[in-house]
Amino acid sequence: MTANVLLAVLAGILVGVSRQLNGRLSLSTSPLVASFWNHVVGFGVLTATGLAMGGLIPEGARDVPWFDYIGGPIGVVFVAAGSWLLVRIGAANTALLIVGGQMVSGVLLDWLLADSFAPAPSTIGVMLILAGMALMQKRF
Amino acid sequence: MAAAFAAGGLLTLMVHFNGELGRYGGALFSSWTAHGTGTIAALAFVLALRSKWRAAGDIGRTVPLWAYLGGVSGALTVMITSIAVNSPLALSGTLALGLGGQVIFSLAADRWGLFGLPRRRPGLRDLGALALVMAGSAVIIFFGLGG
Repeated sequence: MTANVLLAVLAGILVGVSRQLNGRLSLSTSPLVASFWNHVVGFGVLTATGLAMGGLIPEGARDVPWFDYIGGPIGVVFVAAGSWLLVRIGAANTALLIVGGQMVSGVLLDWLLADSFAPAPSTIGVMLILAGMALMQKRF
Repeated sequence: MAAAFAAGGLLTLMVHFNGELGRYGGALFSSWTAHGTGTIAALAFVLALRSKWRAAGDIGRTVPLWAYLGGVSGALTVMITSIAVNSPLALSGTLALGLGGQVIFSLAADRWGLFGLPRRRPGLRDLGALALVMAGSAVIIFFGLGG
C-alpha cells in the first residue's frame, strides 16, 4: 500500500516536472512549439513502451467513435496554456488555477453525464474552490 | 485568470475523451493515440499561427537539451497513474495524492526556481487560496465523485 501511495504522489510530482520543463522550453521557443515537442517526445516514449509490451493497437480500437480522438488536440492547447501561465504567474498559482478549473468543470460534466452524482458535497467543494479563486484574484 | 480556469476545463474534456479511448483500448493505447493526434494537431497549430520555433535573443539560441524531456515525464505519468488507479487507492485516492504531489512540487519549484524558471515566494494570500482550493478538491474527490 505504501508503494501505491508513493506512486500516486510521484504521478503528481511528474505532472509538475513536465509543466516546469515545458515552461522552460517555451521561454526559448514559444508555448505552442514547446507543446509540439512535448507531444512528439511523449509519442516516441509511448511507442517504444507499447512495442516492448507486445503491441500498439488492441482489439477494441476499431470500435472507437471518431470524436473520442479529440482529446489529443485538446491536450495540445492545454499544455501550451500551462507553459504560458507558468512563466507568468509561477508554478503554484498555475497548479491552483488549473486544479480549480478542472474540479469545477469536472463537477459540471458529472452533473450532466453521470448517473450517480452527489450534489451537496460537490456544491460545498465548488464553493470552497471559488472562495480560493476570489482570494487569489485580488492580485491579478 | 479566466484563461487559466478555462484551461482546467480543457483538462476535464481531455480526460473525458481520453478516458473513452481507454475504455476501448486501455490506458497505454489512449495516451499513445492522444500523443499521436496531438503531435499532428500541434504541428498544424504552429504552422497556422506562425508560432516561433526559436525565441529572439540569447535565450532562443541556448536551449538546454533537458528542456525537451517534458514529454517523457508526461508519458511516465500515464503509466504510473494507471497502476495507482487499479490499486486499492482507486480513482479518488490517486487523484487526491496526485494533487498533493503536484502542490508540494509546485511550491518547491517556485521556492528554488527549479529547471531554470524564476524564483517566487508565496505570500499568505497565495497559501490561503491554495488551502481553500485543495480543501474544496478533497471534498469533491472523496464525497462528490460517484456519490
